[in-house]
Parts: sequence; structure tokens; C-alpha cells
Amino acid sequence: MILHSSYYYYLHFSIQLVSMASQIIREWAGIQQFPAATQSKLLELLGKLKQENVSILTILVMGKGGVGKSSTVNSIIGERAVAVSAFQSETPTPVMVSRSRAGFTLNIIDTPGLVEGGYVNDQALDLIKKFLLNKTIDVLLYVDRLDAYRVDNLDKQIVKAITDSFGKEIWRRGIVVLTHAQLSPPDGLTYDEFTSRRSEGLLKIVRMGAQIRKQEIQAASIPVVLVENSGRCNKNESDEKILPSGTAWIPNLVQTITDVVLSGSKGILVDQKLIEGPNPNNRGKVLIPVILAFQYFFVVKRIQKWIKNDIARESRPSWA
Amino acid sequence: MTSIAAPGLAISVNRSHRRLNSTTATSATIKSKLPTFSSSQNPKPSSSNPNIFASKQLHNVIKTSTAIGVGLYALSRGVSHVLLGGSGGGAGGVGSGSGGGGGGDSFWSRIFSPAAIAGEEESPEWDSHGLPANIVVQLNKLSGFKKYKVSDILFFDRRRRSTVGTEDSFFEMLSLRPGGVYTKAQLQKELETLATSGMFEKVDLDAKTNPDGTVGVTISFLESTWQSADKFRCINVGLMPQSKLIEMDADMTEKEKLEYFRSQEKDYRRRIERSRPCLLPVSVQREILLMLKEHGAVSARLLQKIRDKVQQWYHDNGYACAQVVNFGNLNTKEVVCEVVEGDITQMVIQFQDKLGNVCEGNTQYPVVRREMPKQLRQGQVFNIEAGKQALRNINSLALFSNIEVNPRPDEKNEGGIIVEIKLKELEQKSAEVSTEWSIVPGRGGRPTLASIQPGGTVSFEHRNLYGLNRSVLGSVTTSNFLNPQDDLAFKLEYVHPYLDGVYNPRNRTLRASCFNSRKLSPVFTGGPGVDEVPPIWVDRAGLKANITENFTRQSKFTYGLVMEEITTRDESSHISARGQRVLPSGGISADGPPTTLSETGIDRMAFLQANITRDNTKFVNGTIVGERNVFQVDQGLGVGSKFPFFNRHQLTMTRFVQLKPVEEGAGKAPPPVLVLHGHYGGCVGDLPSYDAFTLGGPYSVRGYNMGEIGAARNIVELAAELRIPVKNTHVYAFVEHGNDLGTSKDVKGNPTEVYRRMGHGSSYGAGVKLGLVRAEYAVDHNSGTGAIFFRFGERF
Repeated sequence: MILHSSYYYYLHFSIQLVSMASQIIREWAGIQQFPAATQSKLLELLGKLKQENVSILTILVMGKGGVGKSSTVNSIIGERAVAVSAFQSETPTPVMVSRSRAGFTLNIIDTPGLVEGGYVNDQALDLIKKFLLNKTIDVLLYVDRLDAYRVDNLDKQIVKAITDSFGKEIWRRGIVVLTHAQLSPPDGLTYDEFTSRRSEGLLKIVRMGAQIRKQEIQAASIPVVLVENSGRCNKNESDEKILPSGTAWIPNLVQTITDVVLSGSKGILVDQKLIEGPNPNNRGKVLIPVILAFQYFFVVKRIQKWIKNDIARESRPSWA
Repeated sequence: MTSIAAPGLAISVNRSHRRLNSTTATSATIKSKLPTFSSSQNPKPSSSNPNIFASKQLHNVIKTSTAIGVGLYALSRGVSHVLLGGSGGGAGGVGSGSGGGGGGDSFWSRIFSPAAIAGEEESPEWDSHGLPANIVVQLNKLSGFKKYKVSDILFFDRRRRSTVGTEDSFFEMLSLRPGGVYTKAQLQKELETLATSGMFEKVDLDAKTNPDGTVGVTISFLESTWQSADKFRCINVGLMPQSKLIEMDADMTEKEKLEYFRSQEKDYRRRIERSRPCLLPVSVQREILLMLKEHGAVSARLLQKIRDKVQQWYHDNGYACAQVVNFGNLNTKEVVCEVVEGDITQMVIQFQDKLGNVCEGNTQYPVVRREMPKQLRQGQVFNIEAGKQALRNINSLALFSNIEVNPRPDEKNEGGIIVEIKLKELEQKSAEVSTEWSIVPGRGGRPTLASIQPGGTVSFEHRNLYGLNRSVLGSVTTSNFLNPQDDLAFKLEYVHPYLDGVYNPRNRTLRASCFNSRKLSPVFTGGPGVDEVPPIWVDRAGLKANITENFTRQSKFTYGLVMEEITTRDESSHISARGQRVLPSGGISADGPPTTLSETGIDRMAFLQANITRDNTKFVNGTIVGERNVFQVDQGLGVGSKFPFFNRHQLTMTRFVQLKPVEEGAGKAPPPVLVLHGHYGGCVGDLPSYDAFTLGGPYSVRGYNMGEIGAARNIVELAAELRIPVKNTHVYAFVEHGNDLGTSKDVKGNPTEVYRRMGHGSSYGAGVKLGLVRAEYAVDHNSGTGAIFFRFGERF
């Protein structure tokens, strides 16, 4: 019964959101929830972006289910913009949260988890692609948990699916976000060692999945940001949420986003062509006459020659 | 009698041939008359005279499996001839040399082989000699009324003063056998045979009485010898008249005699000049020369050996009609071996009706004639292998129920062979109906009346139209005649061989057909762990016309046009435009990959299809060895739904590498073989999912289900298999890999990913061949699990 009612609640909520997104963009009130130090840092970064003529920032958040994508979105906005539940997926369709502040618009797109039953959920991916049609993605946040110890083939396939959908270029705008950063590392490892190992492991998979070649690694280094969405997150003296290393993570995340945006690469415009990919049926069609000619002169003729040789070489019986 | 089982029809093939090898009794059925080699020569040899002139005339009619004795006539001084003649007799039959031709009243009687004699002489009644034991009786002293039982036979060589063993070549000339019962006349004839054979200067037959009433026969002889020779020549005297020798008058003066010999010598030289070179290779001739040199004086036994050797070579090489007929030029430095090789003078094609009467056939002669190997044409030497080849070729026409290839002696041309081909034609028209009932148990396990379905196939065939082997065949199959629209399968085909004319050696066949088919698409198959992807049936119906040019029996080039309509249906036969997929919730959504190019579920297209196959594989002791390459292109023409324009191609390369040289022959062990196989498939342009290349399956990557690895635009399959012969079969181990080269995403809707397939996969395993069935254990490398499979036929 409880489940039932929550479902209704959700439906209602999502309709509201969609209608809002298409009509008025809400004022970014949540920014005022942040501690003063964070606020000033964020406003400074926004000013910096405006200086560079960036007035709209669209952030796409993707990752496996239950890693804390929605919580991260909420943390950045500073309000409970998307429903979050500890035990079940609350995001069956992509959701865009838009906030504006002083002529600057921030769009964050929360997406459903990309894994379903041990496989990449291509249906979810399809939904996301359709949702993103005609939007420009400025930053991709690839979210995973810091406290997962291993990476596996599935991670690689998710990265690959993202790459196949939006192109390799999206990783130039990509940031790996590791949630649940407030943890005590396993025995014998310092926190820094653990985080660097974990991020290195994940980055390796991301590079493989995104098919970034070795020589390109330097040019397209993907930053890693640690995040702790929990309300029990430690805070520093200015009431900012901090990581065990002492960094205030929200300003750090926004800082990284700003850096990536200003790094000089272009945002990814999701158009029909990108979603469908190039029509493989049309690729190389022009070359078919050439291919046919090649086949005739270099394959068929060659085989005919072989046959002739066979006939010539055929061991004749002694009587023939 | 050889019988060849061909698919669909059993062809009994009567092949007649003669085995002229005197030493071996053969089981060949001999139907034909032997060629008549006749010659008339000099007077009867007198046993005391070492200069024997012999004449002979052979008329042999062989009806049973008989080994044919070959006798020797020796002529010495001046021009010497030894004539060898094939001769044999049936049971009780007498191969008679008729006395004729210039006082050639000598009889050339046949020498029976043991087989021929067995029935005749083994009569239980015999008479005791009625004489005291252990006395030697001369042949003429024996009673003419008694039947003597011969207990043993001894050959006594007077020159060596010893008896010769039974392995001696003289024994094969003898028709007498220990234990046989003979009359005096028979024994006399036997002696006469020996005496006239030319092998002996002198030969006598004595009987020694035994206490038990039987007699022991002792044949004492003096072997003929001539002066040693250091040259050997083999000539083909086929189709030449036998040398006619003028009778030598006993009253001739010395001068006349001299003249006579000289003229003979001249004649003989001319004969040698006119004769054609024979097929006997130099190597064999050299061996014979070596024999001559080793031996010194030319003896009758040596000539016999030479004859055997020459004939052996001919028969080993399939020249079944070849015969050594004469040794000439004896007592000179050169031994001349005259051979009738069996030249073909004529080839006759004859049709027979069901009762075996000669009739007019429907098949046109050139159709048969073009199947004959060159070696059976007029002027060639008859070879049994060529005959067999002709038989196989004609058999492959599938027009005849019975084929006989007979070499028959040509009565008009001495030593000539007429190749006679007797054919019984198959019925031109045939129709066949086969029916089956299917009863499906309904609810409660009891079949309902409605579930009883009459099904079956109706087919008809009209073969050999206009006698040119053109044919029309059609068939209709349904599992339910009451409701045939459900699954009606039909085929109508017209075959037109000899497109370039029946006289043109170019062998092109036109085939036009109209067809339909229904297949389960392996594109819509789940990967490992995906249960039950709703199947998609691909129905194709259309027209096809192609031309096949055969280069060899296995290598060919086919090109033609295909026009077809493809309909994709779901389980319940509804046209479905998209594949279905099972949602995680358990529901089914019909938004899977598109099944057709037009995205309506029905595609029409026309394309050109070409296929070139190069196949030089052959069987080495039952194991296939060689190389096979196949290249196929489907070239879309832009005609059809959505104007499909594409180039779909695939190349298959398979090599069967023999790893060890082996001796070839029946019953010998086959060699171990390594099979290397590569297959590339690719498509440029429009690619509907039903034409995508699928990976996995018994003919792709073993250990997986059909399409379990993926469906892609370009694929590569690699396989290696090692076959080791074990007893009558072989065991094998294999490794296979299939890869989509990352092109699964280039198939619209990416069915590989939608149905959660890997796109690549390897497998390895081992198996054993049990008759037609392969039993193998294959491990699928993607999941790491193995399973046992039973499959029919070959993977490669």
C-alpha cells in the first residue's frame, strides 16, 4: 500500500517537473542554503563563467543505479529537487532540473541507472538519448561509488555504451564523480592512497571503454571528484561539507566543472544524427561499384586462375 | 558385374572385359568374345626337330571366368617367331584351333584353368589301371577305354636331370591336375598341347602305376632355347594382319629354303617397320633387357616370363585388352615382342528397352558422347579405367537405369576393339505423392478430431526433354492439405543443360526456379543467459535464374538474378516489422530491431548473385585432402522496397592439409589431416537484419547455438581442426573463433546488443566421427561451459 502511494506521488511529481522545465525556470534558491564560504565560492565561479560568455550550463549525470546520482544533483542544487530513496530506483526517466541565478542558468539532468539485470539497459539509454534531443551537454558527470573496491566488465560496458551514444568527445567534458567519499579505508591504506587507487582503477576502465588511446591520455585527462552526499558528512569550521581529506567538496566539484567547461573543448549537441548514429546502411554506398569491380577483377579472376591451375596440375591417370 | 549405387537409382553396370593374364584366374565376368588372333603358319612341329614351325589359329569363345592360357610357338633358324595366343575354354567348351591355312593343321588347344576344369573332370568314377604297381607305362600303351585317375604330376627336366617344382611356369600350361580323371585321349591331347606350344624341343608323357589303381604322370621335357639376345623391342601389331607365312614345302631345295627364309626375314622386317610404337614404357623395356642379359640364352621359360611381365604392365595400367601375341625374330640378337594393345575401332551407343532389346532411345547421342573420355574415342587403346570413367560420367547424367560399357572384339579388324555402350533409359515422366498424418494431442492428452491433419508432398518430374537432358520438376509440400495456406512450400524448377550447345565443350547449365522457404532467423536469438527471445520467421518467395558453368567436377561458377519477397513473421504467423524483446518485468515489447529494410515486415528486392567455387579436394584413403575456396557476392540493384542497393560478399577458404604422406589404396590407413578454415562476410550498403551475418552454430562457431554470438555487418570466423585416424574412423580436436569486428552496431537496431550477445566468441572441443554422426564435446569460451553435441554431416 505504501509502495502504491509513493508511485502516485512520483507520477504527480514528474509531470510537474516536466511542465516546469518547459515553462519557467525557477530561481536558484537553494544556493542560499549553502554556507557563506561555499556561496561566495560558487558565485565567484559563476561570475568567472559569465566572463567567458557562458550563461547556460547543462550537466548530464550518468552512472549505474543506486550510486547516488540523484543525491549528487540535490547536493549541487542545494535542495531536494529530485526524489531520492535509499532502496529503490526513483528515477525511471531522465529529469532535468533547471535553476537560474543572476542571468545564469544551470541545468542538471538526472538519469535512470544504466544497469538492468547485469546488463547495460539499452532501453534506459534510448530514453536518455531521446530526452537529450536538441540539447547541448556541457559537462558529463559519470557517477560511481568510492567504496566499491573493484571494477569489472560491466563498468567498461557502461562507459562504452555512453561513448557509443554520444561519441568519444563527450569524455573531454567528462568528470568522474565518486560518491560516498566519507569512508574509512581498508586496513593498511591511507585515505589518499585508497582514493587514488580507486580512481585510477576506474579511470583505466573509463579510458578503455571510451577507447582513449595511450597517447591521448595526457591530452584528455579526466578529472576525478570525490563527493559525500550524506547528511552526516563532516563539516569544517565554516559549516562546509568536507571530505576526510579536509576539502570542501561542493565548491571543489563546481570548480572542476568550471575548469572543464573553460578547458576549451566544445559542448556536445545531441541531435538526431548523434542519437541514431550515422546510418550504417548509407556508409560506403558510393563505393559499391568500385567494390564490385575489385571483387570481379581481384577475387573472381584470381579464383578462376586457381581453378585453371588446378586443371593443369591435376594428376592425370596413367592411362589418360 | 559392378554395381554403383547412385542417389535415387541403383545402376547396375555390366562391364565386360577380358583378363588375358594366364597366371591368375579372375572372377571377372566375361561376356564378350575374345578377339580373334589368327595366324597360319608352318607345319606341325616335330618333336625331334629343334626348328619348330608352328601355326595356329585361335577362335576363342569365353563364357565363364576363365584365365586364358597363352602358348608359345617357337620358330627357329632364320626368322623365328613365337606366337602367343590367348586361348581359353568354357566348361567343356573347346577352344579349337581349326586346322587350316597352309598346312597349319596343328591344333592349338586351349589350356584350361583350374577353375574351368573343376566341374568337368572331378567325376567320381574312374578305372583302375589294372596293371602291376610301380611300372612305367608309355602314353600310347595306355588303354583308350579307361578313365585314369592321376594321383600326381611331375615335370622332369631332361637337361637339368631334375624334376621342377610346382611353382614353375610350365605348370600353368598344364590343364591336368592331381586327383583328376582323364582318358587316354585327353592325356594325348594334353601332350599335344605341350608339344605344340613351342616351349619344348621334346616332350614325353609317361604314366607310373600306383598300387591303389591310380597313375602318376611324369612329363619329361627338353626346353626350347634360342641364341642369346641383347636387344628387346616391343611393337604394337594391333589392326595389322597377322603375318602370313607361306608354307614350306618339305621338298624344297636348299636354295629354295634359303630364299624362303630370306623372304620371311624381309616380310618380318617390313612388319616391324609398319607396326606402331607400343605403350610399354622404357623402364619396363629396360628391365626386360636386363632379364635377357642375365639369362644368356633365350629359353622358352624366359619368354614366358617376359610375356608375363609385359602383360602384367598392361593389365596393371588398365589396358585390359592388351595381349602379347607373338615373339618374333628369335635366334637373332633382338627379341621382338608383338603386342595387340586393343585399339578402339569404333564406339557404338545402343539403347535398350526394359527387356533388353535394342530400341531407339529418346536421349540424343551427343549427350552421351560428350561424357565419354577422350581415351574411348576411335584410334585410342582401350583402357578399363577410361571405361570406368565413362561409366561414372554417364551415370552422373542420371538418365539411365542401366549402363554397360563393353569392349567387344571387332570381327572386321583383327585386334580391334569396338566399345559398346548399352543404355537403359529411365522413365521420362514421374510423379510422386507422399502423405503423412499428424495428430497432435490436445487438452487432456487426447487428440481431437480437428488436430488430425493430412500432410505431404506432391512432386512431379519431366526429365530429358527433347532428349537433351532438360527437365522440369516441381513439388508442393504442406503439413495440412485442408488448410494449405499455412505452410505451403513449393518449388518449380527448369533445368537446361548445354546452354552453349551440346557439341560445345563448354559446360553451362541454366536453371530457373520459383521457390519459397521458411526459416527461423538466427538474428533474433538471445545470448547466453537470455531466456527465450520471441522467434522471427523469415519467409522468402521468389524467382531465381542462374547459369552454372562447371570447370571441373567440383569447381564451378554460378551467376544469376534473384527476385524475392521477404516476409518476417512472429510465432503466430503475424507479419512483424520489428523484433520483440522481453522486458525485465517479464512483459514483451515489440520495439526491438527492425526485421526488414522497409520496416513494414515485407521487403521486395532484386539482386544479382554470383558464386565461384574452387574445390580441388580429393579423397586419400577416405579422408578429404585439398583446398576449397568459395566466394559469393549478392549485388543489390536498387530495385525493390526502399531501393536496396548493397554489396554483400563472403569468402570462405578451407584447407585440408595432409600431415603425413601415406600409401594410397583400399584398406590403407588415412593420413592425419589439419583443417584450416577462414570465413569472411561483409556487406556495404543496405543491410536488412535477415541478411546480417550471424555467428555461432554448428557451421559457424561450434559450442554455441545458431546466432548466439551475434549478428553483424562484417564477420570473421577462424577454425582449426586436427583429425587423427583411429581404426575405421577418426577423432578430432578443434578451436574456433568468431568475431563481429565491432560491426554489430552497424546493423540497424543492433540486434546483437538488444539480445545481449557478446559479438565475439571462441570455442574448443574434441569429438569422434561415428559413421555419419559426429559426437563432440565443445566448450563455449564465453561462458566456459561445455556440452556434448551430436551432429550430422561435416563441419567443413
